Amino acid sequence: MAALGGRGRAAAALLRRGTPPPGLGAGPRRYRYKEKWAATAPRIPPTRLALHHFDVNYSLQLKDLWPSVRASLLCEQKYGALLNNFSAVDHVPQELELLNATDIVSEARKKAQRSQQAAAAEEVGRGESRSQEGSGEGRTAMRAETVTQAEMSPLLRASITSNIKCYTFPRGDITRFRPARPDTLGLLDYYLIDAASLLPVLALNVRPDDLVLDLCAAPGGKTLALLQTGICGRLAANDVSISRTKRLHQILHSYVPKEIRETVSVTSCDGRDWGQLQGGTFHKVLVDVPCTTDRHSAMEDDNNIFHKRRTKERQMLPMLQLQLLIMNM
Amino acid sequence: MAGRLLWGRGWAVAGWAPGLCALPALPAFPGPRRGCGEAAALRAMGFTQEQARRLLGLQPRLGPQRREAAAAELLLLGLSAEAALGLLERSPELLRMPAERLQERSAELRRLGFCGGQLQRAVSCCPQLFTLPRRRMAATVRMLRERCLFTAEQLREVLRSCPAVLLEEPCHLHHHFQYAYFRMGVQQKEMVKARLFQMPFVELRNRHIFLERRGLYQTPHKGQTQTGNPKLKDILQLPEKDFLSSLAHSTPEEYQVFKKLLAREEEEKEEEEGRDALYTEEDEDLDGEGSNRAWE
Repeated sequence: MAALGGRGRAAAALLRRGTPPPGLGAGPRRYRYKEKWAATAPRIPPTRLALHHFDVNYSLQLKDLWPSVRASLLCEQKYGALLNNFSAVDHVPQELELLNATDIVSEARKKAQRSQQAAAAEEVGRGESRSQEGSGEGRTAMRAETVTQAEMSPLLRASITSNIKCYTFPRGDITRFRPARPDTLGLLDYYLIDAASLLPVLALNVRPDDLVLDLCAAPGGKTLALLQTGICGRLAANDVSISRTKRLHQILHSYVPKEIRETVSVTSCDGRDWGQLQGGTFHKVLVDVPCTTDRHSAMEDDNNIFHKRRTKERQMLPMLQLQLLIMNM
Repeated sequence: MAGRLLWGRGWAVAGWAPGLCALPALPAFPGPRRGCGEAAALRAMGFTQEQARRLLGLQPRLGPQRREAAAAELLLLGLSAEAALGLLERSPELLRMPAERLQERSAELRRLGFCGGQLQRAVSCCPQLFTLPRRRMAATVRMLRERCLFTAEQLREVLRSCPAVLLEEPCHLHHHFQYAYFRMGVQQKEMVKARLFQMPFVELRNRHIFLERRGLYQTPHKGQTQTGNPKLKDILQLPEKDFLSSLAHSTPEEYQVFKKLLAREEEEKEEEEGRDALYTEEDEDLDGEGSNRAWE
């Protein structure tokens, strides 16, 4: 077997699976802890445990879609650029559009409007054929419009008023966004976020002067998105972890001007105790419950919830999630 | 023979009118008499007039011995006159090889297991088999036997199915082998059957990692004999469309994007390793333990 090993360094490199994608790694390799290969029982890395867990569960839920989802978890993440409405840079949309990126929120809005118009036209058509027996065109056209309004999905209604703008590159385009740049006041022009993270924010459908609570706010992407709507009356951002809350503060400092920051209250308490500790009622509550952080768990062995010593914590997750949701309804 | 002697002297003189011999369409370089003698020799070997002319046109400053030796050797291998000529036209460096070297190389290739038509085919598709330095070829063969542990019979089969293997950089070839052996958990027997080296390494890695990340291929654990993995033969020999539909259960579009992502990953990994190499020294750990353990 010694012969087969040959250039040991090369063989070791071949066996290093699940390396973090470049650019998001843990620092220069020379400073990283080098795991010795145990001569006794094999130690199963948490990433492998996580993948096994996902394979068992998600293949049942997603069926034929799971292989594609699995591969995309293990490949480099695709980001969206959440534009910072508070920064003074106007040319960013043009800059991004020149690179072929599009604002997915406005695209969704346009697409929904188009399909509504198509449905309305169809309705008018049907209405017309019905109205052959006598009613005027005007009546049927009006009926079509009211149908349209009622059928509009909540998500669409929300995105129409949201002021949230998020650019992504088209399907199949793997271009990366350049790092965010500060304007003359030091506020960054956009925040790179997983586009899916915006969906709960859009679905929340914040209305002007709403009091909003973000219960598990750190590191702060969704909080920032909520602030981009520009219509939160007051925003309370909470996270149980003090170190993660520090990150939240940093983000607010980098993106949001002082006068707006002052409308945000940041706290660090357990979301289950929120009612007792802070109280107050809110129009909208967003609870991004602690989860198995699938992408991180599949790629990074560090700080991985699938590590053996965190098994209890992981098994308690569903109950924690339920408690957080119930306590805050 | 007289013609040849004359050739020696006529060579330096320019401007001899072509067509002094009864040979039509000779190229206008010195020595129609030289042309006569040589062409006759070539024709005696079996080349037509036209073929002889083309042959003489290659590397005109070359001595006739080289030219005839190369041509003769190729004919001996069983190539037709036209095929031999075509080969020499594509790879004129063959003409620079001395006769003994060509013969040695043929013998060596036969010893390695190329026989008759196989050798002919191998040379036709890879003429560099003849110009490859001896030491390099020996290193490759030694590496395949001693490091990859292919049996003699397996080696013969590998070379027969993919003669271009001998032209590869030995360390690239070794890496290619190690990838299949350690990373994919494939044994030599299967590698030979699947004709591992016929597919470029990058393509192998694309297909393997695509399957792996989709959850359809798993590196076997130490001692694991049964895996649900698709056979290497299928992975390598199916055309891309069929590979995608029947093995990967995916679309060409998805595979294209994946290949782009993987290429970028590998590029950045190499850059990072290059930077690290500036700072770290060779790790004794990895050289010692690494070669004892097949995989995690």
